[in-house]
Amino acid sequence: MKRLWWLLPLVLVVLVWPLLAGDAFYQRIGALVVLAAISASAWNLIGGYAGQVSVGHAIFFGAGAYAALAVYTHLGWPPIAGVPLGIAVSLILAVLIGTPTFRLRGHYFSMATIAAAELIRLLAANWAWIGAAIGLMGPAAPRTLADLTFRSPLPYYYIFLGVLALLLSLTAAMERSRMGYYLRAINGGERAARSLGVPVLRYKLFALMLSATFTSVAGSLYAVMVGFADPDSTLGILISVKMIIVAALGGAGTLFGPLIGAVLLIPLEEWTNAAFGGSGTGVTYVVYGAIILLITRFEPGGLLHLASRIRGRPRAA
Amino acid sequence: MLLEASGVVQTFGQLRAVDSADLTVAKGEIVGLIGPNGAGKSTFFNALAGDRPPDDGRILFEGHDITHEGPEQHARRGIARTFQVPLTFEDMTVAENVLVGAFLRHSHRTAAEAVTRDVLEFTGLAPMADRRAGMLGTPGRKRLEIARALATEPRLLLLDEALAGLTPAEVQVAIGLVRRLHVRGITLVIVEHIMEVILTLAERAVVFHQGRVIAAGPPRAVVNDPAVVAAYLGHRMSRQIQQ
Repeated sequence: MKRLWWLLPLVLVVLVWPLLAGDAFYQRIGALVVLAAISASAWNLIGGYAGQVSVGHAIFFGAGAYAALAVYTHLGWPPIAGVPLGIAVSLILAVLIGTPTFRLRGHYFSMATIAAAELIRLLAANWAWIGAAIGLMGPAAPRTLADLTFRSPLPYYYIFLGVLALLLSLTAAMERSRMGYYLRAINGGERAARSLGVPVLRYKLFALMLSATFTSVAGSLYAVMVGFADPDSTLGILISVKMIIVAALGGAGTLFGPLIGAVLLIPLEEWTNAAFGGSGTGVTYVVYGAIILLITRFEPGGLLHLASRIRGRPRAA
Repeated sequence: MLLEASGVVQTFGQLRAVDSADLTVAKGEIVGLIGPNGAGKSTFFNALAGDRPPDDGRILFEGHDITHEGPEQHARRGIARTFQVPLTFEDMTVAENVLVGAFLRHSHRTAAEAVTRDVLEFTGLAPMADRRAGMLGTPGRKRLEIARALATEPRLLLLDEALAGLTPAEVQVAIGLVRRLHVRGITLVIVEHIMEVILTLAERAVVFHQGRVIAAGPPRAVVNDPAVVAAYLGHRMSRQIQQ
């Protein structure tokens, strides 16, 4: 418990700053930061700890987003009620995609996940039930509180924060348990891990399912806040790439790495969007590319790794 | 018999790397697998470890057929191994490497940590417990592989050239460690190039040549066997020596 004391003032700042800032622009960025931290932390379970670099996590994000808006469009339920459906679909897809691709190593696994995600994006763009290329809309005005349609970004910020806290506590518990060590062993070398009795395929699949669950929740929350989902904004490759960059920038395979990456990257992205106008996707790609280059060239372990190196301590001791 | 392998065949395309090899290991033995380079001993060893199921033949461990079981099932049954080129988890500390092994029999962290402490103490790795495995030299990494294997609480330990690449002084330390493993009741099968190791450690040596077992018995008798000398030196040279 002693080592958790330093977290207390930090938690206070995280809880109180949006109230003091009072500006909806900053509050909205705050909500987006937390949302990006949720997706990246979810990706981190399989991509960081287990070292299986999925570039197809948009599949689960999109499943969550579409599920939320599909239960609203077709059943008239509040979008948040789509969360279990999104999770169920994501789990099925995780097993269908993970079972064959986990036999592939390294880049081949990453390439297979890109292919799977692009396939699903194309299918979604041609499936009328979920609006095909146009996508789905959420409720324009709140019918009840359960619709979670707010004018202010503040409620979203706090809801997202709750989910992030749950995910990070789960990750912290996993990190110290057998599963955390087994995933890191898989990352360190599958042949050695198997020789020590680690059921590699089973643990990879389990990590992917847990990861898919929370990525799907992040997708649903995104749809609830934005009230809109289409193939490009929820299933595009940029969604997957963003999770990887956010996690890798802060430190893949560390508890707080994705959160730190989100705190740095999302405001930067919002700034480039504001400064260069429009959706800014072109400039966003350039910024992402530059970050990938810098991380891989100078600090593959991410910023947390850099910090621990400066302090002269081994990583994740 | 603890381990019984019979008629094991391992082929790579046209090449029969292991051609109907037999090996039996009794509980408490130290068996050395020797032979010139490319004799098939490492391929045979990997079949015993479950890395690649043999194309033919049968492997029994404590009476169970393990021929087609993977390395993770082997570990669970009590067969541990090391690798010729050490495969330590570089980004984890020495203690964490061992902890991964200890988690096989102990799902709770406190119990696994207790095993890890014992193993680190036993193998002399305790002073470097918190060092990153990637920072160890070859002798350290070879010892860490033994420690990690030991943490799975094996009954049979397969050592693949665990002493190759060590200086003579380091070899002596490693021989001491292997002796103490044996005293602990662990049966050992060792693949080794260094003849001195086999002569001092093994109770029985099995000689491979061109994928077949050509001799087996007490190491000193085996190394003087004309067929073995011929395998190592070639027929013409061994004839010259005998004349």
